[in-house]
Amino acid sequence: MFNKQNQGETFNQFETVIGPSVKVKGDFNGQGNIIVEGVVEGSLKTIGSLEVGKTAKITADLEAKEAKIGGHITGNLKVKGFLEITATAKIFGDIETAGLSIERGAIFNGKCVMAAATEEIKK
Amino acid sequence: MNIFIYDSFLNQKKYDRLLARLETRITDLGLNGRISRLSPTRNVQETINNELKRGASAIIAVGNNKTINQTINSLAGSQVPLGIIPIGQDNNDIAASLGIESMEAACDVLAARLLAKLDLGLANQTYFLSNVRVNNQGTVIDMNKNYTIETAEKGLIYIFNLIGQQVKPPPQVKFIPDDGFLELVINTYGNKKFFAKQEHQSIFKIKKITIHNLKHQLILDGSISLNAPAEITVIKKHLNIIVGKNRNF
Repeated sequence: MFNKQNQGETFNQFETVIGPSVKVKGDFNGQGNIIVEGVVEGSLKTIGSLEVGKTAKITADLEAKEAKIGGHITGNLKVKGFLEITATAKIFGDIETAGLSIERGAIFNGKCVMAAATEEIKK
Repeated sequence: MNIFIYDSFLNQKKYDRLLARLETRITDLGLNGRISRLSPTRNVQETINNELKRGASAIIAVGNNKTINQTINSLAGSQVPLGIIPIGQDNNDIAASLGIESMEAACDVLAARLLAKLDLGLANQTYFLSNVRVNNQGTVIDMNKNYTIETAEKGLIYIFNLIGQQVKPPPQVKFIPDDGFLELVINTYGNKKFFAKQEHQSIFKIKKITIHNLKHQLILDGSISLNAPAEITVIKKHLNIIVGKNRNF
């Protein structure tokens, strides 16, 4: 999904949309693509892709296959594939991902571990 | 044999001419069967159970969403298909979702007999085909005790099996009435600008949910009231139904 051709584009189909007026508290486990524009507290995991809009306020650890982040996150972020951080993003936590792009203007305070790099060190 | 279940509101004289037209059309298409007229004293469940025992080949609900809901609550789990003939435009969006836009179109749909096996929602002990609606004020949504959902603005909560015209979901979200899931849709309206209310929408795919609300009742298929708390689940492919080509899934 996040190959060179469609990086930066939105995903094709969504299973869950957490709108701006909604707060989700607890452990949320999704099976498909998720959009977050509201508030999430606890943890959020999906085997699909995650899109965090600029109005989102997340205090949770996040796990996804791929992610595009434009909102406020306090928590750790684990992404198996490509992670795109846009200019409106504010991330306070550690990142673990296989691929990364950070747009100018984004705020990121934390450690970043790239899966490909750690594999090379192990070799 | 086709069994036509006429809702009790059709006993009013103003429907006589309309029903005569319907019966002529049914005869022309060779869909004749037995007509069973409901009345306040005649139980739907008993009527349908008797017809199923006599070997009905299809149960045709003639009326509106309420007629459909009452019929599915007697027909759920049976192999005998449900047909629908909507009378009037009010409270008839379930037929429209199934590609049955009018009484005349319904006769053609019955003649074509295109079958689909759909899921049914179950709220406590009552089945629903299309949706459950409840005011979000005072509503607590409990998702299998894993997480809770709170809303900050006024609005409505829907749980859809078959989507109608009540909400307009984004094109990236697909509502499929035979996938073994329900869709929880929360529609809220921003309070800040009174004349330019902004609609916010949240969507969750669910299998089981509990709704608590002390103030408001749940409304099933736009017509049946149910008190909360209600446990809502989905029964996969539990109803055979005759659908039109222009259905929305």
